[in-house]
Amino acid sequence: MTALLERPAAVAPRLRRDRRRWAWGLAALAAVGWSVAGALDGVNPAGAAQVGAFAAAALSPAVDGAFLGVLATAALVTVAYAVLGTALAVLLGALGAGAAARTTWGRRRLGRLGRLATRGVLAVPRGLHEAVWGLLLVTVLGLDPWVGVLAIGLPYGAVTATVFGALLDEVPRGPYEALRAAGAGRVAAALYGLLPRAAGGLLSYACYRLECAVRSAVVLGLVGAGGLGYQLSLSFSSLRWPQVWSAVYALALLCLAADVAGRAVRRRLAAPRRRAGVLSRDRVLTAAVLGTLAAGAWSWWFLALSPASLVSARAREQVGVVLRAAWPPSADADLLRSVASAAVGTVQTSVLAIALASVGAVVVMGVAARPAGRCPPGRRLAGVLVRLALLLLRAVPAPVWALVLLFVLLPGVLPGAVALGVYTLGVLGRLAGEAVEEADAGPRAALGALGAHPVAGWLYGVAPVVAGPVLAYALHRWEVTVRDTLLVGLLGAGGLGALLASELATFDWPAVATVLAATVVLTLAVDLVGDRARRALR
Amino acid sequence: MTVRLGTATVLDGVDLTVGAGERVALAGASGAGKSTLLGVVNGTVPPSAGSVRVLGADPAALRGAALRRLRARVGTVHQHLELAGALRVVHEVNAGRLGSWPALRAAWSLVRPQGVADVVAALAQVGLADRVFDRTDALSGGQRQRVAVARVLVQQPDLVLADEPASALDPVLTERVLGLLAGPAGRGGALLAALHDPALALRHCDRVVGLAAGRVVLDAPAAALTVADLAGLYGTPA
Repeated sequence: MTALLERPAAVAPRLRRDRRRWAWGLAALAAVGWSVAGALDGVNPAGAAQVGAFAAAALSPAVDGAFLGVLATAALVTVAYAVLGTALAVLLGALGAGAAARTTWGRRRLGRLGRLATRGVLAVPRGLHEAVWGLLLVTVLGLDPWVGVLAIGLPYGAVTATVFGALLDEVPRGPYEALRAAGAGRVAAALYGLLPRAAGGLLSYACYRLECAVRSAVVLGLVGAGGLGYQLSLSFSSLRWPQVWSAVYALALLCLAADVAGRAVRRRLAAPRRRAGVLSRDRVLTAAVLGTLAAGAWSWWFLALSPASLVSARAREQVGVVLRAAWPPSADADLLRSVASAAVGTVQTSVLAIALASVGAVVVMGVAARPAGRCPPGRRLAGVLVRLALLLLRAVPAPVWALVLLFVLLPGVLPGAVALGVYTLGVLGRLAGEAVEEADAGPRAALGALGAHPVAGWLYGVAPVVAGPVLAYALHRWEVTVRDTLLVGLLGAGGLGALLASELATFDWPAVATVLAATVVLTLAVDLVGDRARRALR
Repeated sequence: MTVRLGTATVLDGVDLTVGAGERVALAGASGAGKSTLLGVVNGTVPPSAGSVRVLGADPAALRGAALRRLRARVGTVHQHLELAGALRVVHEVNAGRLGSWPALRAAWSLVRPQGVADVVAALAQVGLADRVFDRTDALSGGQRQRVAVARVLVQQPDLVLADEPASALDPVLTERVLGLLAGPAGRGGALLAALHDPALALRHCDRVVGLAAGRVVLDAPAAALTVADLAGLYGTPA
């Protein structure tokens, strides 16, 4: 009876490492080492005094009425940009989703081609950062409020279209097919069979975009589009530190408010409260939707948008001039060399930033997670403090961190990497903490019961479970960080962004076209690598 | 060896002593408090009143390394197994030795597995030797249950607690696993196992303790009981 059990294995099992994962892991280590080597350029000791003055002003922000009034108006401008930009993005996204979704194209060969073509077209606006759009649009439209709205709406619209399309494709297709079989047209069948199931996800994503748009609107201000970011950069360049801090606090508050409100609405969407048998609407959700619509109308009035300026003769003429000047893109050898070296700098910055953020996130995630059961008050307090610190880190946009760091660090890889690393730590730390909260507490408790050291219990009971999700988050944030590196570069931290800024400043349009193309290619390549690496992790 | 319990919410004034060398089966319907009782003994469930003595010591009076040393002598096959899943089988089994390993050795073992020969020997006893380097979450439910048993085997505890340790196994493996878990009892330790199958309880244990709604309603030598006596615990007509 036991003969079967005791028969030795035909081949003695050997520990076989997963080669693909090892390859990815070693490649990641090599990339970090290479980036560190690239970051070993200068510190600027002369700037230390300014940093001291800057830090000292943190506790004494400017609070005079006149300046606060200016800030309040600026904050309204930022909000208006965010709201209208999101509205445009959702509109474009809804249209684009129709073009990107499998449902529209069906499964035929032509359909696959059409879908690929749409995705390719969408990749271009997505590959350029909002701030880059802002700079380009300023040259065409001048200082028109449309610049802020379009700079958010166009790239966001492309992302929204992709996500909306994916959401629609994920909905079970049974009801849709049934309606089609009953003779309904495609649009009607999608309205009754697909949309109701997808509505929650779509609304939730739109809400998330609004949160992001607030941050983007602040950043657009930094490159000159007006609003809070603009006030910040004005105060910054005139070295008025108390005013800078007031602006930083104001925009941190604004981002925080967007973060908290957005999460509340999205949580409500995930678990709506309904009374059985009554056609009632969730008050919070209704208020949020109506409020956003009202805010859109108000924003339109407040920014004094006029459709006429979009299609004015001057704008059309400018577009023509720029496009004619930019084609063909420059293939000058010197330029290509500097594009390549700037691209290397950009990648190094992003790799270093994500490495810093990941190490930081791994260190804090255990404390950042809310403990499940009973725990000493000291542990609870530490958790609250860490979560608060992470909140502050991500409330201040990365470019603001970069501007500060540029006092003590010479432009190059390091200031951008540290600035983005600090900001990304705020995001990644929260995500990793939530992954720990979601992990099953059972295995760790079981190891405690057999006498394992707490560290060993963590290593064998928690770490294996959260490693996968945390690495996937880190890879995703790396893709985001590469985009943000361009932005930080625009403000002088080096890389492709800095190159773009200098070519724009000299109106060298063929060179601008080359740099933009390089940017898009780089973002696409990074997305591809990230996607591959995530698949190897699964 | 004494195990004395006070009142937990699901256990009401349970007073139970398991002696050295004894193999005790816990019987009772779902929700009767069997798992909670085992949890109180291994320390995962704190009793709200009363006291517990495990292997002659009071866990509540111990801290740090002393508590860990005591806990290393109590091995548990949990009802839900409580394996991390995302680890190779060798690490899940080696986790049984974490009570005697310092943290550094535990960490190093994740890079270079320690004591692989012992792990393979333990796995061979449950018929899984060829899966030693596979990922645990790639195994079937029954195979995972055997990994949890192998973990207790490498731990070499004095007291074995088992919560339905054979619920996902075929009859041949069930006999074998229960025999393995009773090993320490034969060497002067003890086995306390929650078992749903009355026949199994009578065959593998010296004594049966019946629980109903958190109270001990039956405590008798297995030799004096029949399958029908135990069936009454589950509310089925005898």
